[in-house]
Amino acid sequence: MPRLPVNLIIGAVLVSLVVGVAALSLVWTPHDHVAMNVRGRFQGPSDLYWLGTDQLGRDVVSQLMVAARNSMTVALVAVLIGGSIGVVLGLFASAVGGWVEDLVMRIADIGFAFPALLFAIMLSAVFGPSLTIAVAAIAFINIPVFARVSRASANQIWTREYVAAARAAGQGKLAISRDHILPNIAAPVIVQATIEFAVAILAEAALSYLGLGAQPPSPSWGRMLSEAQTLMFMAPQLAIYPGLCIVLAVLGFSLLGDGLRDITDPRLSRSRRA
Amino acid sequence: MMELDRVSVAFGEALALREASLRIEAGARLGIVGESGCGKSMLGLCLMGMVPDAAVVSGAIRLNGRDLAGASEAVWRRHRARDVAMIFQEPMAALNPLSRIGDTVMEPLLVHEGLSRAEARDRAIALFEEVGIPEPAARLRQYPHEISGGQRQRVLIALALTCNPGLLVADEPTTALDANVALRIIELLVRLSETRNMALVFISHDLAAVARATQTIAVMYGGDVVERGPTAQVLSAPRHPYTIGLLGARPGLGDRGRGADGRRRRLVTIPGNVPPLFDLPAGCRFSGRCSQEIAQCAGTRPVAHVLDGGQEASCHLLAPAAPGRAGAVT
Repeated sequence: MPRLPVNLIIGAVLVSLVVGVAALSLVWTPHDHVAMNVRGRFQGPSDLYWLGTDQLGRDVVSQLMVAARNSMTVALVAVLIGGSIGVVLGLFASAVGGWVEDLVMRIADIGFAFPALLFAIMLSAVFGPSLTIAVAAIAFINIPVFARVSRASANQIWTREYVAAARAAGQGKLAISRDHILPNIAAPVIVQATIEFAVAILAEAALSYLGLGAQPPSPSWGRMLSEAQTLMFMAPQLAIYPGLCIVLAVLGFSLLGDGLRDITDPRLSRSRRA
Repeated sequence: MMELDRVSVAFGEALALREASLRIEAGARLGIVGESGCGKSMLGLCLMGMVPDAAVVSGAIRLNGRDLAGASEAVWRRHRARDVAMIFQEPMAALNPLSRIGDTVMEPLLVHEGLSRAEARDRAIALFEEVGIPEPAARLRQYPHEISGGQRQRVLIALALTCNPGLLVADEPTTALDANVALRIIELLVRLSETRNMALVFISHDLAAVARATQTIAVMYGGDVVERGPTAQVLSAPRHPYTIGLLGARPGLGDRGRGADGRRRRLVTIPGNVPPLFDLPAGCRFSGRCSQEIAQCAGTRPVAHVLDGGQEASCHLLAPAAPGRAGAVT
């Protein structure tokens, strides 16, 4: 049994922690995360409120937990939608080849040129700010990323002899893409998805910070951060907690993605290069 | 049943195949031999309609009288597996490592033949038995890495046979196998060809394998078919200087490396290398390496001269008025 890379282990622990807390919030939080208690504002940590209360007397721990769940949901939905569309486009481009492939990839290049946040702000300006718009924007910017990764990997697999054997057995390009290409590009796509998950968490936090993501009273790390900003000198802990959560979640998924890459494709490994 | 009529395959200026003509009769077994890069694999791909997109194909590729040169992928797909099937050199690389063997073999049965899963399974088991795979039902559930190279090649043969093709193209099917296993595979291919009345095109650089597997042979060099005829006759009495050189370059087991006079014999080699495709001489492709070259060799392409017993060779020395007859020199 080869030793697992350190980044994979740390990443997996952080991700389990964040995902576990998010899942737990579905069934249990220490307090109702929206219950206000104006007389008990800005409390410090106590047995009752582990990390204290915020400017409206809401329990910080409960809010962080529900925010973790919201953040995970947004990232999951966005990466799934963007990833699926991107992978299908990449597979299609690779299977058809020729000018169709060039066209799809040049469109993907145009997609890359859109700064994600500006694109989301534009969408919010048109449709009004909402979590759905944030998800759509993050999904959209993921499409070209996955199209590029899956097309590059698929092009390699198309040169394999078992693909020639499948063609010789009369399989069409669609069936080959489904049966032979897709399973064999799964590893790089999963690695990319993990890394994009981290990017999506960050994007969601940024959009919520700008007021373009989760709308009140639904808690979000980004929005907690922006609300705490004005209270920086009064209650700095209210900004530190959500900030720390964002850092740990993003770091966890990034390390997990890097670690997965290290074990699935040793050639790209940074940590093992001599 | 299948015929190549002056088929050329061009990559830009370079010709991977130059006006190659071949006839494959139903049930017949044809060997194609030559060095690496002589165009023999390209010829196999022509028969499958699987020439790379970058190549330009000219000439006629007739399948049961119908010209398929320039036919679309969709048209070719209808013929692949049913009329022409192919097996490959690397039995490991030719099986998807992530698919169970059964799924790979049953796929064409489900798609092309429209069988139910149970029927496809029965057919796959019957095919495995036909190609000599022990415990076929257990094999269906295994992955390619779990079985040996010889068994993998048998799986690929079973895959190629799923839709009862009239022609099987075997591109170096024994090169990656050890000698004993290779022999078993050759025996299997010959037996299948006979019992199914299936034509076999056996592509190889292994002359002994081709001698065992085939009835007729075509020798290729630099994209040309330089000599053809009945296998035994061509291998025992080659007439083209290239074929003569190729046969001379075999280490003999019987003479223990000694010549007729009992002295140790140096292995004869053909001097030089096969030139790259874009740098082949315009006339006879072998000119420049040929020991018996005459004036017109480099510039003029030799025509095929029909010799005794259905043997044909494309060499200027075989022309009736030529100064020295190639066969007579050696």
